[in-house]
Amino acid sequence: MKLDPAIRDQVLATVPSLRAFAISLCGHVDRADDLVQETLLRALAHIDSFEPGTNMPAWLFTILRNLFRSEYRKRRREVEDADGHYAETLKSHPEQTGRVEFSEFRAALAKLPSDQREALILVGASGFSYEEAAAICGCAIGTIKSRVNRARTRLADLLAIDSIDDFGPDRPTRAVLASGGGRS
Amino acid sequence: MTTGKPVNAEPPAPVRDQPEAQNTMDTPVTQHRREVRLGREIQARIGQQLRAMYDEVVKEGVPEHISDLVRRLSEHDDGAA
Repeated sequence: MKLDPAIRDQVLATVPSLRAFAISLCGHVDRADDLVQETLLRALAHIDSFEPGTNMPAWLFTILRNLFRSEYRKRRREVEDADGHYAETLKSHPEQTGRVEFSEFRAALAKLPSDQREALILVGASGFSYEEAAAICGCAIGTIKSRVNRARTRLADLLAIDSIDDFGPDRPTRAVLASGGGRS
Repeated sequence: MTTGKPVNAEPPAPVRDQPEAQNTMDTPVTQHRREVRLGREIQARIGQQLRAMYDEVVKEGVPEHISDLVRRLSEHDDGAA
C-alpha cells in the first residue's frame, strides 16, 4: 500500500516543527532526531488511524510526546534524579544543544518540570491553541493554562530578572549556572 | 489589555518609557501597577526568546535522512511495520 502523496507532504511539512519540539523536550539534537525518526516510523506504520482532514501536526506531536514520555519513564528508573541529571548534562556540555546563544535560556527551560516545559513550548512556540495542547498532552484545558502560567513565572525567577535591562543577549550565563542544578 | 489574553499573543509592551508621575507617592497600588507592567515586559521577552530558539530549529527544515526515510516508507509501507 502506498501512502497518499498529500498525506506524505503533510507529514514532511510538520517535521521542522516536530524537531524543534523534540529538541526543546530532550535538549540533545541527536536524541531529538532519534525521537523524530521513531515518531515517523510509528506514525507511518499506523497512518490508517489518521483521519484525513484532521490536524496532522497535533497527531504527530501526540505520538512524539507519548514516545518521549515512555522513554523518560524508563530513564527515570535508571537515573534517580532525572530532571537534575538532565540539567547537569546541559551545564557540562552546553554544546550538545548546538545552539550556544540560547544556552542560558535553555538551561532555565531544562529546570522546569517536564509537564510545564512541554505545555509552554506547545502554546508559546509551536503555536497550538490551549485546546490542541490539552489534546496532545491528554489533559484538561485548565491544566494546560496553569502549567503554562507556572512555567512562565518559574522561568522569570530562574532567569533572575530584576529589570527588563537584565534580560539582554549580552548577559553572561553565570546567574543561571551559579544557581545550581536540579530543584532550587 | 486584559489579564485573560492568550499568553502567546502579547505584543512587546510599549510602556517602557512611561513617565512615572506618581513616584513621589509610592502607594501599594502604583507599586503593584509597576510590577504588573514589568511582569508583562518580562513575559513578552520570555515569549520572544522561546520562539526565537524554536524557530532557529524550524528554519533548518527537514534533514535529508528524515526526508529520505519518509519517502522510503511511503513507497514501501511494509517497511514501517
